[in-house]
Amino acid sequence: MAEFKGRPGSAGQRPTGGDKAVATQKKQYFRRKKVCRFCVERIDDINYKDVRMLTSFIAERGKIVPRRISGVCAPHQRRLSDAIKKARNIALLPFAASI
Amino acid sequence: MRIYEELFIVKPDAAEEEIDQFIEQMKSVVTTAGGSVDKADKWGKRRLAYKVDKYREGAYVLFQFNAQPETVKEFERRLRVSDLVIKFLTVRIDETLKRLEKRKKDRDKRAHRKATAAPPAPAQPSVSQQMLGEAAPAE
Repeated sequence: MAEFKGRPGSAGQRPTGGDKAVATQKKQYFRRKKVCRFCVERIDDINYKDVRMLTSFIAERGKIVPRRISGVCAPHQRRLSDAIKKARNIALLPFAASI
Repeated sequence: MRIYEELFIVKPDAAEEEIDQFIEQMKSVVTTAGGSVDKADKWGKRRLAYKVDKYREGAYVLFQFNAQPETVKEFERRLRVSDLVIKFLTVRIDETLKRLEKRKKDRDKRAHRKATAAPPAPAQPSVSQQMLGEAAPAE
């Protein structure tokens, strides 16, 4: 009881990951839970020749997007980074892109 | 025997017949060594992601073949020696194909099991309902 007397929502609630509410001082917002695209769409084959698919996982400068941002699960990120590196090797993707 | 995939880039200023001739030559390299060529696709001219030997674009050719590891060595040597080819990449894909097939099979099996398991599934709740029904008059 006593802890709710103060600022509501800031004391008792610890910010947890996932789709739980993240309490800030002024407003509450929800962070949508990220899901792995390869798991959801059941894509088994992450092929280095599929440039269009791979480009959605590289940043503007040609870097591989980290999975904390893209939400890809670890096993798929491993295959994805392998595929991107192969594609770079054969000039399908840039090592460093100019903007 | 293993399955390999070979993707190589031919100079953009090479003539079409020249490329065809080269592809035939590479096919014979595999077949004379006792392998078999499954695929030999020309992707056509594409822009390269970065400059390779001062070229901004190149003609991609994709080979898929079944061969011994020694054959690949010879294949790669030929590509390296050839003036036409500016870049190449060899990937062994038999294990990947096997893995994909297995995943597909597992997935199909699971879907099949789900489809067959669906009819007896309502039987379980009905048992508990019966038990509930028995328990109900006692109350």
